[in-house]
Amino acid sequence: MFPANFDYVCPASLAEAAQFLNQHSEDAKILAGGQSLIPLLKLRLAAPQFVVDLGRIAELKVIRETNGGFEIGSLVRHVDIERSHLLARGCPLLPETAAEVGDMQVRNRGTLGGSLAHADPAGDFPAAILALDAELTAASAIAQRTISAQDFFVGILTSALYPNEILTSIRVPKLGPRTGSAYVKMSQQASGFAIVGVAAILTFDEKGKVTEARVGITGVASVPYRAKKVEAALRGTAASAKEIAAAAALASKGVDALSDIHASAAYRRDVAAVFTRRSLEKAAQRAGRK
Amino acid sequence: MAGTSGDGPSGAGPNGGGRNGGKAIGLRVVGKPWKKVDASAKVMGETKFADDIFLPRMLHCKILRSSAPHARIVKIDTSKAEAYRGVKAVLLGKDLPIPYGILPVSQDEHPLAIEKVRMVGDPVAAVAAVDEDAATEALDLIEVEYEPLKTISSIEEALETSEPRIHDYGEYGNVHRRTAYEFGDVKAGFAEADFVREDITFYEGSTHLPLEQHASVGQFSPDGKLTLWSSTQDPHYLHRSLAKVLGLPATHIRVIATPCGGGFGGKCDPFQHEIIVSKLAMVTGRPVKICLTREEVFYCHRGRHPVLMATKTGFKRDGSITAMHHRTFLDGGSYGGHGAASTFYTGVLQPTTYTMGTYKFDAVRVFTNKAPCGPKRGHGTPQPRFAQEVQMDKIAEQLGLDPAELRKRHLVPPHSLTCNWLKIGTTSLGKCIDKVVEGARWKERFRKLPHGKGIGLACSAYMTGAGTAIYWNNMPHSGVQLKLDRSGGVCVFCGSSDIGQGSDSILAYIVAEVLGIEPFDIRVVTADTDLTPVDLGSYSSRVTLMTGNAAIQAAERARDLLAQAAAEKLEVPANRLVFADRRVVDMENPEKGMSFVDAVWLAEAKFGTLGTTGSYTPPKAPGKFKGSGVGPSPTYSYCAAVAEVDVNPETGWVKVERIWMAHGGGQAINPVLVMGQVEGSIYMGLGEAMMEEMTYRGNRNVVHKFPSFLEYKSPTTLEMCDVVTYLIEDDERETNAPFGGKEAGQGPLLPVPPAIANAVYDAVGVRIDEVPISPDKVLKAIRAKAKGQEGRYGPTHFPSCPMPEPIRVATPWEGGTGEGVKREPALAKA
Repeated sequence: MFPANFDYVCPASLAEAAQFLNQHSEDAKILAGGQSLIPLLKLRLAAPQFVVDLGRIAELKVIRETNGGFEIGSLVRHVDIERSHLLARGCPLLPETAAEVGDMQVRNRGTLGGSLAHADPAGDFPAAILALDAELTAASAIAQRTISAQDFFVGILTSALYPNEILTSIRVPKLGPRTGSAYVKMSQQASGFAIVGVAAILTFDEKGKVTEARVGITGVASVPYRAKKVEAALRGTAASAKEIAAAAALASKGVDALSDIHASAAYRRDVAAVFTRRSLEKAAQRAGRK
Repeated sequence: MAGTSGDGPSGAGPNGGGRNGGKAIGLRVVGKPWKKVDASAKVMGETKFADDIFLPRMLHCKILRSSAPHARIVKIDTSKAEAYRGVKAVLLGKDLPIPYGILPVSQDEHPLAIEKVRMVGDPVAAVAAVDEDAATEALDLIEVEYEPLKTISSIEEALETSEPRIHDYGEYGNVHRRTAYEFGDVKAGFAEADFVREDITFYEGSTHLPLEQHASVGQFSPDGKLTLWSSTQDPHYLHRSLAKVLGLPATHIRVIATPCGGGFGGKCDPFQHEIIVSKLAMVTGRPVKICLTREEVFYCHRGRHPVLMATKTGFKRDGSITAMHHRTFLDGGSYGGHGAASTFYTGVLQPTTYTMGTYKFDAVRVFTNKAPCGPKRGHGTPQPRFAQEVQMDKIAEQLGLDPAELRKRHLVPPHSLTCNWLKIGTTSLGKCIDKVVEGARWKERFRKLPHGKGIGLACSAYMTGAGTAIYWNNMPHSGVQLKLDRSGGVCVFCGSSDIGQGSDSILAYIVAEVLGIEPFDIRVVTADTDLTPVDLGSYSSRVTLMTGNAAIQAAERARDLLAQAAAEKLEVPANRLVFADRRVVDMENPEKGMSFVDAVWLAEAKFGTLGTTGSYTPPKAPGKFKGSGVGPSPTYSYCAAVAEVDVNPETGWVKVERIWMAHGGGQAINPVLVMGQVEGSIYMGLGEAMMEEMTYRGNRNVVHKFPSFLEYKSPTTLEMCDVVTYLIEDDERETNAPFGGKEAGQGPLLPVPPAIANAVYDAVGVRIDEVPISPDKVLKAIRAKAKGQEGRYGPTHFPSCPMPEPIRVATPWEGGTGEGVKREPALAKA
């Protein structure tokens, strides 16, 4: 179907976009890569008065190295993350995750910021963003603020952004020595969305003990989450296969798992444990586990 | 143009298997991979589908569909919509009060709901406006007040709920149809068996998913004649329905089936929108178009019935089947449609693969408040074939026999009658089994692969055209007219509609073969009720056989005329003339001859304007009992398949690595097109086996969950498995089929789901007795097995329903006549 009529707005700068949204926040939708908004418009599930295209705001399309990390503009496309040499060296979890998003057409058009702001409970990036403990910057005509990844995802298709705010960048740390990361997922066969997607980061000390473990899980619950019980179970261990399996078994403990046509809650819990184990195994090997 | 490298058959044979037998010797066109007549337009994007039609002053139609699954319509207010900008007409149910339906026994549909709605998606009102936007926006202005009724979402609920009734006809309550047959004495058959086992299986519903959404354009001319262009598989049946509902004489209606972007059975029924745009064209005097949204296509549905089955089989130590009692429940959805036929098909073809001593069959179709089910590729037969072929695997294991050997021992012989009076023609099922067993290295690998890897085998048979038309008549099922003109050009007219399978091309190939000219010398005009003789439509795998036979007759009659005229000139007997390479020559003296064009000139001078006709009527079926019209076919195709799977025991994830398919379809008219049908069937069977399901949500489970491509799960190229196809010819030519060519479009789907289920068992030792075989089911069964429970996932309960006394028919070997045995009046009996 064709979308309902709307007015197309294409601001030349972030300030102009923020100003417009401030005036029309209830009647406007932001267009980034269009991978979520366009289907919603075509199904007429969304019929905003204004579509605000951020495509001309160049500053949102840059990946920069910062002090101790990287700042990724919200309009950077999945494919550019997938192919970024900068990220491949300093934060390989992001390119690995980007490569798992949808299909090539989606990756060519979709953006990191669009994917996060859409807050699909089965999106891939939320898992990585959580594991990286990223900070997200949101700007409005009134103020700019930083939101931690753990506070960003509020509910199904609901983020912590206000209607007049624009997600402008995502800051992630550079991964240090003896650190390994991985993202693995089981996909829905039609859409490629995650039934379960697990991003894991493990850091070992020189003696081979885990000093830091961070696990982000998407697809299992209505909100992507940090599997803190898994993390706690691993800290201080050598992350042996047995220790990883025991920790991974806690992947969905205390979590209200989703049940839908793609998988029952029980099945999601089962495969969450399997994929958490696989993700941690990969991360441990990449960190050079002793 | 003909004879250039682009149009001729490619030199290389088809990949992956090849044809055996060399039966095509002597044929110049048939059996060779000629290009399809519509191929260039298709690949260049030049084909004009229904939605590509734009007529001057054309209006656009949108349909308001029910948001309530089962409700009385209390009030509809269309005043605001009528006053909206650009709106030219608004229709309601009362404007089209005459009911219709594809089968004479199920005239239960209306173009727009009258008094009540039966499903989410039932059309309630229609708007014609100057553009799509205005029509869409006007729908929002129509106010409908519903009074909700209790809804029915499942087979069990339908059986338990007598009120409210979804329809006020049918057997009773919400039971639409009950069918019961007994061929031979089944009780005695079970008594004779060494073992008896009963398996309960379930086959989920799925939809066709044609890439082209249904579209239609109606035009009403000032002289009171209606033309409807529509993406339909069955223009003839649509023609009849339009005449009935619109109250116009059929002579004043012309239906043109546009090139169809995929049918698979989903465009067989006459649909509401086809009647609605016709009526709107009549009301407004302007052409009116509709192209359904994808969501609406899901509501039209008519797809695979969800079927719950209990199959009780008695067998001897050697695996021979002494008796089978097969029971089915069909979840029909909200309308009859083809459902009465589907009900028969869930049982009637069971005895066509392996010799079966006696057979009893009970089928029940119920109404539910969901999208109506109907004929999807294989119409009603993939479900029982799944039940039977999975059970065969279990029987083989129980007896300690190789499943391939077991099947081969008990094949239905050629030229025999089955216990239910189906006449089997030629069969190559044994050769098919041998071919896939060899290709898949079955003997080395079955039960010998490492844990997680497995192979499974299954077989099937399918009709090549239904022996009976949908409405009773004694006229031909297919007609072909030929026109020959002085240019040497030949025009073929036939009512058949090409839905992508290549039926237009088949007409050109066959006429070219008989007349000794090139397929691209021939113009094919099809599927236009004003121009072309009736063909019943593209369903039941009937088109190649029936139009092919009619085309042979028409072409032979034309050849006789040309031969007579040429013989006179050449002064040789007409029966010595052969037609080849665009020439007519004396076979005893090949220098003596003339061009095809010259022969046409002579014939036209001798006989006047040249035209011939050909007709085809299937042979009378040997069964004479009530209901014996469903199942008989001029001939049956046979298939054997082996599937290889990789099952992850931790996640239950099943990857189908490869399928070997041997299709016993006789002489392929065009082997590339047959392979296309086989591969397409495998693809569709793979989707049904692994992931596809029509699922419903809401607290009553009656709102379609995913009416979109976004989330309805169907295999993509990423999930498609490797395929090895073998085209197997019969040892002797099937005389009922044109050049011995049988069906290919549906049968090869059937063995795919059971072959995969059997392969999963070989891989991880658990039985998944229902499709789709989703990972959660596999994992549950693996977990159950690890705990020492039965390693199985599937239905365990089979509901009961009072059944009428079966129609009893003695088997041929009991000396039956094919008539029903006298019986008491049908009384409900628990």
